[in-house]
Amino acid sequence: MVELSLLSKYPFLNASKEYIKDNNLSIQEILDDPLYERARIIGVERVDNAFSKRDVGERSLVTDSDQIMELLSYPIARMIAVCIDDIFFKRRYALGEAIHAYRNLINESPLFLINITNEFKINIKFDKDTHKISIYFVDYLHHAPTRYKEWKMINRGMKNGYIQISHKDLARIIQEALRTRINNELDERKCSKSVYETFSSDIKRIQNSVMLHRKNIEAAPIGKLDNKKLPPCMKNILAAIQAGENVPHMGRFALVSFLHSLRLSNNEILKLFSTAPDYEEERTRYQVEHITGYSSSTAYSPPGCDKMRTYGICPTEEIDELCKKKRHPLSYYKAKWKQEKPKK
Amino acid sequence: MGNFLNSNDSLEFVKDEFRKYYKDNSVELPDRFGRREFAFVLFGGKGIIRHLGFEKINQFTDFLKEKTPGDIYYSSAYYQIPDAPTMQEKNWMGAELIFDLDSDHLPNAEKLDYTQQLKMVKKEFFKLVDDFLLNDFGFDEKYIELYFSGGRGYHCHVKDPKILNIDSSERREIIDYITGRDLKDSLVFHEQVTDRKSYGNRSFPSGKTLKMPRPDEPGWRGRVSRGIIEMVNEIKKSDDPIEKLKEYGVKKSDAEKLLDDLSEERIKRIKEGRLDQSKTIRKFFLNSALRKTAVSMSAGETDEPVTCDVKRLIRLPASLHRKTGFKVEKITLETLMEFDPLRDAVVLPDNPVKIELNQPFGITIKKEEFNLKQGIQELPTYLAVFLIGRKKAKIIL
Ligand code: SF4
Repeated sequence: MVELSLLSKYPFLNASKEYIKDNNLSIQEILDDPLYERARIIGVERVDNAFSKRDVGERSLVTDSDQIMELLSYPIARMIAVCIDDIFFKRRYALGEAIHAYRNLINESPLFLINITNEFKINIKFDKDTHKISIYFVDYLHHAPTRYKEWKMINRGMKNGYIQISHKDLARIIQEALRTRINNELDERKCSKSVYETFSSDIKRIQNSVMLHRKNIEAAPIGKLDNKKLPPCMKNILAAIQAGENVPHMGRFALVSFLHSLRLSNNEILKLFSTAPDYEEERTRYQVEHITGYSSSTAYSPPGCDKMRTYGICPTEEIDELCKKKRHPLSYYKAKWKQEKPKK
Repeated sequence: MGNFLNSNDSLEFVKDEFRKYYKDNSVELPDRFGRREFAFVLFGGKGIIRHLGFEKINQFTDFLKEKTPGDIYYSSAYYQIPDAPTMQEKNWMGAELIFDLDSDHLPNAEKLDYTQQLKMVKKEFFKLVDDFLLNDFGFDEKYIELYFSGGRGYHCHVKDPKILNIDSSERREIIDYITGRDLKDSLVFHEQVTDRKSYGNRSFPSGKTLKMPRPDEPGWRGRVSRGIIEMVNEIKKSDDPIEKLKEYGVKKSDAEKLLDDLSEERIKRIKEGRLDQSKTIRKFFLNSALRKTAVSMSAGETDEPVTCDVKRLIRLPASLHRKTGFKVEKITLETLMEFDPLRDAVVLPDNPVKIELNQPFGITIKKEEFNLKQGIQELPTYLAVFLIGRKKAKIIL
């Protein structure tokens, strides 16, 4: 049995679920019983903090009661996040949990971290004599933030499929794995009526601030780019990136090279991306500069409609009349401009 | 000179040879056969026919007999609905990892003839399989399949169940690793503060040295060191070191300077892992070692930062290549070094046929040396098919 103090720090562990089960706590009790009022307050706090500070926050975990409330606040926060029902918000919440976990994990022993990786089915080897940690490269690929240059596999030592990593790296990899897991959980679940009723005022309040946040960003004009003239494919990719969805590399590539061709500067492109809940300046800059040729000396040209289709990033159901006449997203955008001129 | 491009007779002749081959030989069908997309190029047809799926093997063999395609491809990916017209509707379920090395993508390949190109690409291929896939990635031999492509390259299929599900950006990472892209030199070399006594009886004014990784370090760090040491040895052993350096792309004047700098003592120190040379020399060593040890690979990404490898089409093993008549031949790790495509992948018969050659041509094929003159002559079928495929000859009936 894992200690309660640990569970409250790492409430995402399977053992936490078991703890709740073993103590026969029903969702209804957690939502209604005055006994758990504090857990509910912390639940809302988690969600608020994740949105405003990118970290669900640190609270005192001295007494048993502190710990139980903290532990219970986790499923509560998740249920609220599901009910807020906004993709940007969900990504942001998952990030806030993952970052919080990371900040605790870096203070734990390697063996503790390795135990956690078991839960994520991450294949780790630990050499008891040298204390060296290595990770199977497929798991590394799944979770490591390889968009950072120093995280690229080539800049790591690999032998026999295992990549040596530091203790801190391992904590970071768990952070990423956790983030993905929470994202998936949030996407799979549906808002339950009783949760919505219990927290309706908080849910509405947060929904409003999310909306405001989005409006602020979307209203800001970016250089010469006119959002409304974007072809459906680019609109979709941009929206997905801004919502923090997992856009495949080819999608990012298509959008960045497209924007670059429209003469948007790297900074302007970065600004467009900066609204993503998981936006990281350095990593995004690296990617963008690579594609626009700033750091790689070759600027790539944006793919045409045929290629977009092959890669499955042309939304075939959403294409319009103009799409049918054009063979390149760039010519679509230019044609839109021309269409408008005579009206002036 | 006749029209060598559109001779129907020539096409029919080649097609007929292919038909006989497919009648007597069976191709190797991929596992998960029913979940693969198949694609074909037909003789005289325009472009590639894609998005075909076969439920039963005999449907496939019937198709071969009926159409006798010039090229046969299957998808490295397997899909829920392989014959759906768009990628989305197919519903991707996984894909083998495919490496496609083609002489097209080697530096200076245009200057070499076909035989030399094949040799060079085989060297790259060996590096890929032995040094990277087996050593660094640690793949089990039983998951690695090697093929001669029938054309100008080699294919490697990795079928380890653990990698079937990785997505395209993860595959991209693997390609970057193997091709040596984005290596951060500050992670390879690092400056180390030293005191002056630490180098035996020699005395150094400055307290800094650039430390090279040990050659046996894992990953690229060790690889770069091994590359540098190998290079230094080559330069030292060479009768004409300046020439050797020029091969590595160093200008003559720079080469002379570099050689001046490469004293015995320096060389000794490089081997001990200290590379405290000037910045340009350091850069030169790193870049050359990188080029020497990385694999030059196509994967279609020379002009594109993404490998579409999750969805790519690959030649079907044991099928024939339309432009050579050679077989997509399976190779084992043990036989890779001895493998000679111009002997081992030539499967068409040798009964003589009459062709007209539009230019002189020389090749050693099936251990026989041919120095062919332009004009009408009788040649073994396999060579006739090869020359027609390369648009150098037409059939004379
Ligand atoms: S048809 Fe072309 S421009 Fe239109 S959505 Fe598809 S890829 Fe974009």
